[in-house]
Amino acid sequence: MAVSAAASDGNVETGSWLNIDTLPTLIFSLISLLIVLYAIWSVKSGRKFTIREIPGLKAVDEAVGRATEMGSSILYTPGWGGDIQRPTTIASMNILSSVATRTAEYDCRLIYPTHDPVIMAVAQEVVKESSIKAGHPERYRADDIFYISSSQFGYAAAVDGIISREKPASIFLLGTFEAESLILAETGNSIGSIQIAGTDSTIQLAFFIVACDYTLIGEELFAASGYLSGNESILSSVKAQDIIKILISLFIIVAMIWATIDPSSTWWVF
Amino acid sequence: MRTKIPLVVCLAFGVIMFAQYFSNHTIARAVYNNILEWWQIIFAFTLFVGVAAFIKNNLKSISLGKKDTPYKIVSLIGLALMPLLAIIGGTRIGSPFLWSFENMLAPMQATVFSLLAFFVASASFRGFRARTVSATILLLTALIVLIGRIPLAEMISESLPKTTFWIQSYPSMAARRAILIGIGLGSMTTALRVILGIERTYLRGE
Amino acid sequence: MDRLRTRWIIFSGLAIVVIVSYLITIKFKTAPSPATLKAYKYLDTLPEKSVVIFSFDHEASSLPEIQPIALAMLRHAFKNDLKIVGLSLFAEGTAIGYDLLSKTAREYDRQYGSDYIFLGFKPQYISAILGMGESIKRVFPEDYLGNMTDTMPIMLGIDSYDNIEMVVSIADGDRTVQWVEYAGARYNQKVMAGLTAAMITSYDPYLSSEQLYAVVGGLRGAAEYENLLDKRGGGSRGMLAQSAAHLYILALVIVGNIIYFRNRRRRGGE
Repeated sequence: MAVSAAASDGNVETGSWLNIDTLPTLIFSLISLLIVLYAIWSVKSGRKFTIREIPGLKAVDEAVGRATEMGSSILYTPGWGGDIQRPTTIASMNILSSVATRTAEYDCRLIYPTHDPVIMAVAQEVVKESSIKAGHPERYRADDIFYISSSQFGYAAAVDGIISREKPASIFLLGTFEAESLILAETGNSIGSIQIAGTDSTIQLAFFIVACDYTLIGEELFAASGYLSGNESILSSVKAQDIIKILISLFIIVAMIWATIDPSSTWWVF
Repeated sequence: MRTKIPLVVCLAFGVIMFAQYFSNHTIARAVYNNILEWWQIIFAFTLFVGVAAFIKNNLKSISLGKKDTPYKIVSLIGLALMPLLAIIGGTRIGSPFLWSFENMLAPMQATVFSLLAFFVASASFRGFRARTVSATILLLTALIVLIGRIPLAEMISESLPKTTFWIQSYPSMAARRAILIGIGLGSMTTALRVILGIERTYLRGE
Repeated sequence: MDRLRTRWIIFSGLAIVVIVSYLITIKFKTAPSPATLKAYKYLDTLPEKSVVIFSFDHEASSLPEIQPIALAMLRHAFKNDLKIVGLSLFAEGTAIGYDLLSKTAREYDRQYGSDYIFLGFKPQYISAILGMGESIKRVFPEDYLGNMTDTMPIMLGIDSYDNIEMVVSIADGDRTVQWVEYAGARYNQKVMAGLTAAMITSYDPYLSSEQLYAVVGGLRGAAEYENLLDKRGGGSRGMLAQSAAHLYILALVIVGNIIYFRNRRRRGGE
């Protein structure tokens, strides 16, 4: 262990507890944390937060209803690019929880193929809990939530095959996607499914916008858990996000004006 | 207890990993290096979970005689064959394992990737319609970039590649940065919610 | 059925265009983009025996596009007598990377162990990238061939990023982002990338802020690099097919709009 090595060699520098080069990042992080905590405290003091209508999330009910009416299934997949520690995957799990509750209520089949065994295990727990919450634990089908392959195009080919054979009425593409995004979206489009997509990749967003019916752009995906559950604490953190964004925008405007007036200044560079 | 312990563990490690980023003290580095090593070990064990689940699901599907049974059989053969080849012949240059990888897996992967070109063509045919003013601007921009990226562009006009470069470097990048900032903030607040225990979906869907 | 037939026509047309293009030989002179030129100039001006890491962070699926880029840059590095440390943060990139590295080394009569080394694959890429900032030999105690790294002549004096001039990430996804965000931000390691064309635009923000030093992107980037090296390869050969495909899609878009306006006029008339 590095500590023992350092202790045995008296000449090794122990370093400082605070790395000055990271000070701007620390200050920004602490300010953001304070804003989030303030927003949570405001909610607990009785303040109400609302967020605007997000078409992609509003369409979740429509998508589940369509699949139920057609006697078909729903396919939900979190993409190949992320693992469970990624915030995008966590955000996707929140929406999965909502979708799974509705599919359990309407007895609609939910197919969830994934590339990661940990995501599979978490998704199984999420869907199981949602079925229990909906009052229909018997409608939980563990076999419909499965691991395919960690290989990108092995995963894409398998999901494409499932879409072509099962012909789901609704497809949810929510998570971190890479090159497989358009392959999945176009296949879904070719069978006439309603598709709701959202990702943190700006490249794949462009593909989703062309090929899908609804796309969650940018932080709309992360606002999903608050939007769908109505949980006040989560909504407050979404509001905190907006406040931080306003501060960043003001900073950019001030820096831009300052740089225009005095091109040699560099106080904003860190 | 079942949810409290994971929440406490999540909070503790979240705070440690956050704090260590701002320190270059030997103790902070040592803690950090150890966590990284444990992370690698845990990841290795999760692969067993995946393989076990894969085998179980496929065998069950085959026994039930579902419509995609042939694909399940091929998958299981592939799963068994590759490690067998690796154990028998090793994984170095010239081994059967590497031959299978280079001559079966790699071409299959490249084939599926190449589907993207076809799907881009059909998506472009369907998507780039001059329905509104903004759609028309998008269409014209796409046409300029399509031509600007090929060597022919320099033969048509010197300003085509320059315009393409300008479009990619300024308006496109401005929009991308704005979305990236939003995504970054969304990721940050989601991570904070997980660390603080507000977001618990990963724990039994709460 | 009509939708399916349209797809068949589009797909068949593209296949014919690309196949015919590969049967014809036309040489294009591709003027280098600023980013490719910057990458070329950096490797060209490095002193002999400088150490460069080549990280093969890609899958087998993107090999047709990525291989020309990797070959061009490796040839340049070997030609200028730079020392190369190869590794992979993607399991599939391992065998491919070793193969490319050793084949290119043979072209320039370079010796394994003293002129180049391949460290192999490390899972959990973030911990691997961060760990190399402390000690490369600790992250890779053995190389791909099973030799102890601290016994290899090339690794003498190479402890961490302090001894590395540049990391070249040959990637088809977001591994390069991790190199920039962890090796670049934390250890001030210079990073440049060889990327698939689809990924170029997502790295533009990093390029303009100089967090990413330079990018050689797509088949065109490979062709540009080959022109600078004056050695024709896969990139140059693919330029006609790529140009033909772009023009085909251009034609499709124009035809699609003609059909759209004609149908709109008909509906308006009715």
